[in-house]
Order: sequence, then C-alpha cells, then structure tokens
Amino acid sequence: MAKNEALYEAVLKGKRKDVSSIVNELVAAGTNVEEILMESMIPAMAEIGDRFSRNEAYVPEMLIAARAMQAGLDILDPLLQEAGHEPIGKVAIGTVKGDLHDIGKNLVAMMLKGAGFEVMDLGVDCDVDKYKEAVDGGAQVILLSALLTTTMPYMKEVIEGLGNCGAKILIGGAPVTQEYADEIGADGYSDDANTAVKSAKIALGLAA
Amino acid sequence: MTGKQILLDAIAGKETERPAWLPFVGCHGGYLIGKTATEYLTSAVLLVEGLKKAKSLYNPDGLPVMFDLQIEAEILGCDLHWADEVPPAVTSHPLAMGKKITDLPEIDESKGRFPVVTAALETLKKDIGDDTALYGLICGPFTLALHLLGNDIFLDMYDEEDVVIDVINYCAEVCKKSADIYLKHGADVIAVVDPMTSQISPAHFEQFVTPAMNNVYDHIREKGGISSIFVCGDVTRNLEVMTKTTADNISVDEQIDMSHLRELCEAQGKSFGGNIKLTAVLLLGDEDDAKMETLDIMNKSGSKGFILAPGCDLPYAVPVKNLQAVSELVHDTYAREAAKSLQAKDADSFDDVTLPDYHGARAVILDVITLDSTSCAPCQYMMEAVEMAADAAMVKVWINEHKIKVREGIGMMVKLGVKNLPTICINGEPTFASIIPDQTTLVKAIEKAALPKMSVGP
Repeated sequence: MAKNEALYEAVLKGKRKDVSSIVNELVAAGTNVEEILMESMIPAMAEIGDRFSRNEAYVPEMLIAARAMQAGLDILDPLLQEAGHEPIGKVAIGTVKGDLHDIGKNLVAMMLKGAGFEVMDLGVDCDVDKYKEAVDGGAQVILLSALLTTTMPYMKEVIEGLGNCGAKILIGGAPVTQEYADEIGADGYSDDANTAVKSAKIALGLAA
Repeated sequence: MTGKQILLDAIAGKETERPAWLPFVGCHGGYLIGKTATEYLTSAVLLVEGLKKAKSLYNPDGLPVMFDLQIEAEILGCDLHWADEVPPAVTSHPLAMGKKITDLPEIDESKGRFPVVTAALETLKKDIGDDTALYGLICGPFTLALHLLGNDIFLDMYDEEDVVIDVINYCAEVCKKSADIYLKHGADVIAVVDPMTSQISPAHFEQFVTPAMNNVYDHIREKGGISSIFVCGDVTRNLEVMTKTTADNISVDEQIDMSHLRELCEAQGKSFGGNIKLTAVLLLGDEDDAKMETLDIMNKSGSKGFILAPGCDLPYAVPVKNLQAVSELVHDTYAREAAKSLQAKDADSFDDVTLPDYHGARAVILDVITLDSTSCAPCQYMMEAVEMAADAAMVKVWINEHKIKVREGIGMMVKLGVKNLPTICINGEPTFASIIPDQTTLVKAIEKAALPKMSVGP
C-alpha cells in the first residue's frame, strides 16, 4: 500500500477527527494495520518533526499533530497487538531531579511514540533510582531532559549512578550541548525533539 | 554623562559613546551575597544588598530589581516550587483546575511579593538610582496565561481560540497593573518578559500576543514610561513580528543573529539589546571567552540604540570574573583594542615575528606593548615612564615600542603572552600590566634584570 495522502495530511495538520474516521474506514476496508501506521502516520510525524527542526512548525503544531496521531493509535493499537506487531524499541524519558519543566520532555516522548517506540514517561524531578527502575523495566534507551543550567549537572550523577547498566543514555534540553554530552559520557545528544528520535534509533543500531 | 543616561539614550535609539551595559542580575544577586535564590527573592533587604554588590562589581548602567516571572502568578493563585539556585517554578494552574477569570484575585501592590520588590526599588532608587536605570520586570501576557492555564494552552489555541484570547487579554490587564506599580515606585523602564512566545509561530504571535502586548506597551507610554520586550529562547522566526509591536526596545537571547535584529529594528525605529551566551560563555567559559563574545556582539550591533546584556536571566553561580571581563570591555577603550587584537591573533600564527635574543643581548630589553603611544594616553605615560627609568637606571637599556595597530605589534603581544594594554615586558617577561609603575620600582626592576647578564657576561 502506498501512503494514504488524506491520512498523512490529517496527522500533519492535527485533524484528529479526520484521522479517526480515515483510520476506521481503512480498517473496515481490510487495509493492513501495520501499513496504515508505517506508510502514512509515522511519515507524517517525521515530517512535522523535520518542520520543527527547520523552525517551520512550533510547539502547538507538534502537539496537535501528536494528539491526532494518538487518536489513530487508539484505534490501531489493539489491532497491532493482535497482528503481533512489535514496537521498534523500548525507551524511558524523564526530566532530571530538581527540574519541573516538561514541555520539551513531552514533545520528545510524543515524537518517539510517533516513530514507533514504546515510551515509558517517568515525569519530572526524576532521581537516579527512577531511571534505574526504568532500566530494570526493560528500557533500552534512557533520555534525560533539563531546562535549567542548575539541574543539568544532575545528568552526570545519573550517568554515574547507572554505570554499565546496558541501556544507552541520551541527553537534551535548552542548556545542553554536544560538548557537555561528551564531557559527562552520555551516549548521545539531541538539540530538539525531532533529532531525539534519530539519536534513539542510532543508539539502538536502527539508523546510522 | 552617567551610565544611566547612556542606557536611556540607547533605549531611545540614539548613538552612544560606548554600549549601554545591562547585566540581568536575578538570583545571581543572591549568589553574590551568599544567599539562596529563595532567600534573595523574598527579601527587600537582600535584593538591595545583592544589587548594590552587583553595581560595585560590574559597573552596570541598568539593573532589574527582581528577575522573577512568577510574582503575578503567585498572587493569582499558582502554587510555586522554591529552589536554592533558580527562581521559583509554577506547579499548579488555577484556570485548569476549575477556576474562572472572575474567581482570580485582583492585583495590587499590597499582595504577594510586591511589597518586597517595591521596597527594594525605592531604596535602590535613592541609593544608586542617579546613575543606574532600574528595570521593573513583569511577566508577559502569554507566559502568564500559560501559568494560569498550563500546557493545555497550546492545544486550546486550536480548540478554543476565544477562551485563550480572553485569558491573554485578562493577563494584559494584569500586566498594566504591575507596570503601574513599578512606575509609581520609580522604575525607569518596564520590561515585559514573555519567554513562552518563543514556542509559537509568527502567525500565532500576531493573532494571540500582539494585540495584548500592544495594549500593555501603549499603556506604559501613556503613563510616561519606557517599555522593553524580553524574550528568552530562540525567536528567530518571530523577530519581525516582535519588532512590529509598539514596545520601545527589544532584548533577545543568545540564539539570535544580532546583525539581523539590528536591520529589523532600524527599519522599525526601535532600539535593541542582547545577547551574551549564558551557559557556554558566561557560566562555563573564561574571561577571554567572555571578551571575545562581547566584542563580536558589539561589532554586529553597532553603537546606535544598542544595549549589551546577557541572553536572559544570569545563572545563579556565573563566575564574577567573567562578568567583570564584559564590564571591562564596555568601560575601557584599551581593553576593547586589546580584545580586538586577541581576536586577530586566532587567525595568524605569526611565524615570521621573532623575539629578540634576550639572553645574549648586552643590555636589558624593554618591550612595551601599546595601542599607540601617540594616540592612547595611558600608553603615552607608560612610554614616558619607561624612557625616564631607562635614563635613570645604571645599566644599558634598549626600548622597543610595539603598537598593536600593526601586525608585528600583535605578533609580539601574542609571543610575549601579553593580555592587557599597555604592558611593559622586561627581558621578555610581562612585568607591569595596565598600571604604570612608579619610577623607583621600574628602575629597580630594570637593574635587577641586568644582574644575570653582568654575572655571565664575557
């Protein structure tokens, strides 16, 4: 099946009612559910992410697209499970201890979900133990978020606290840089929600 | 002319003899006096102490009285989470919890932390207000609406446009009351700080934010005040719509290209400011990084209608020496020239510039690094002092002046490791930097430098 343009556009523009009705129609017509997801919906989220990276889409546009995506996933999820569809990876994300900012973290979580990952959202103000629990719960990638220059140093404590836990650790947030990621020994860094998806894929060997 | 007047001239779009300098000392003021952000942002006495300390350390032309965007939100019923090294964060959003605009309390100067901030403002006005422009900072209408509605505001901008517009308009009325309070107690400039507008498109800015902001700026103007818009974060795409608001001045964060902002502001007849990098340069960099960054911003911004400032609220523990390096560059023409030569040195290895044979020479060699002793007064006095000391010393002395206006001079400066202008090097060692030594000290230093030569000479 090729991309369904109407569904692609509906996700891209955040038209959640349109997404629901198109997905329902496609399912009723017997379209392969994995194809609906992979050929139309995920590419739409990737496109909104690229527009965000290019400063052509903003937080509201990302959020309504993610909400529309979720409306489609609500219908597809049970069907995907029946069909034995597996997420492309399991990741956990949380804003570090002392930091209560969640807009950036939420955007990254939505983009990861939209790209086919299973996402454990750990919330804000997360200490080392919370990330450890996520690793014990099967997370293959741990994503640390911080908005404040004062909470950023806690990322180093998390990396030290997790040691050789087997999971890859990615960091991001307004004050964070690639240099800082290198300095504290993170496995990767992203400067926005879109590149976070690419970094997570690279960390798991799903992309180069 | 006072620093305050330089800042007010700059904000009015005039040419200034040097850039106006406005360090955003928020909770960093607490760091300067050994107090937590929480202690500092809740005490008029500590605010005054911290800002006076900042005044003496950084020699600014303007200061914000309290850099905390939660003052209004706190009065309107948002819960705050307090911390040691950052301003408080809003943790609850009354309009997302069932309250209506009509349920929210009225803003007046007796409520919340307004008594703290107005008391500090009055004392500062009296003590440092003659030569320091004092900024009253108010939370902008969009960010305040986000405090009240929570993150749902972003989806509501699509689902319930009218509701969001009503809330933002209400917030603009709150802003006007805050502005009135600051103006009544002597604030020179009202800054409307609206960082969350960095997260929306130009179309949304014009639809939701511009009318509310203009309402606030027009009100400030009617009251005889001066207004500024501060937006922390990357507002590259929103710059044009920001410059089209009726604010007098626009201050931006580190991501913005100042040459581009300058063009846009010149087209709209506005002054502008910014945008020293907070983390990479001020917090984690050193003095040379701070100077290079400052010089680069000054070059791009020009000398008309420009205010030098950090990108946003200074991090709590910014090293004092980095901000002092910025201040030195603002106030000292020679420091600026020295920094320019440091900038030039990065592109040149000066392989062809060779140092004299200090060890083999049968004289003490004095290298004096100057801007140019014919045009720079301190350089002229230093050269005169060196010549007099050379005459008075009981040893043979060779004097070389190296002017950094020419490449050879910069090469010598780099090879001798000189950081300040003017500097006297004796036998290749930077010995007296910036300060001209008294005659006896200089003569003794020259004669001491001759001793090893005498003992090893043929």
